[in-house]
Amino acid sequence: MSESNKNGYLLLSRTDEWYQQLSHEELQQLLAANKAWVGQLIAAGRARPGVALARSGATVFGGNKSVVVDGPYAESKEAIGGTLVLDVATLEEAIAIAQACPSLRYDYSAIEIRPISNECPLEACMRAREQQLATA
Amino acid sequence: MSTPNNNGYLIIFRSAEWYKGLSPEQMQQVADNWMAWFNRLKDEGKCAGGNPLEREGKIVSGANRVVSDGPFAESKETIGGYFLLTVNTLEEAVSIAKDCPGLPYGVRVEVRPIAPQCPMVDELASKEHLAHA
Repeated sequence: MSESNKNGYLLLSRTDEWYQQLSHEELQQLLAANKAWVGQLIAAGRARPGVALARSGATVFGGNKSVVVDGPYAESKEAIGGTLVLDVATLEEAIAIAQACPSLRYDYSAIEIRPISNECPLEACMRAREQQLATA
Repeated sequence: MSTPNNNGYLIIFRSAEWYKGLSPEQMQQVADNWMAWFNRLKDEGKCAGGNPLEREGKIVSGANRVVSDGPFAESKETIGGYFLLTVNTLEEAVSIAKDCPGLPYGVRVEVRPIAPQCPMVDELASKEHLAHA
């Protein structure tokens, strides 16, 4: 849990437009709080400006004759609403930052935290296999 | 589908650990193709960056800030990485997504327009509009 990662962490906000249920005042307050949260992190050099995603898009899958369907990932009830790259070195720090996200005061909200890798997962998989072979 | 978007697109790679069934040679080939694709897009000025993600992770949820293990998974598919595309239309972004070397192996590529601002701001604006109607 306390391993460090010099590549940083990616926060993925997972939502299903729960904020539509909020009153005008609640929404206004939450927006200001979220803005302050991100602003503080950026000012402290702990996050880079994030990306908010529109609630539209497409998904491509299949081989040579790839299929395109409209909209965000179809099976996802908790579609990705935005991303934030954190320049922190440990998972604990990333978790602490996520826990301070104002959106979480509403139960419908969740944040996924993923360590950023310095190599393609395929390369990592190959390396693991080679190590296995070497020690076998 | 053809609305231009000056903020670019995020393409997100979703998959189970599809590559575990490949031979070392196949795996090397797909990894090389993926890297070449990424570098070509960067050289062409169509990609501002991207990151692979580790398979593990945590989820923090709800008012109690509960921390649980693992990435979000739908049908065992998790997000493996993403590219930030600087193209202006969904068509261009989708056409780039179609070149993803993982597609023949079951990778799904989600293409999402980047919003100029948090969608909550739009929601707020529409509520204000209603209030003044």
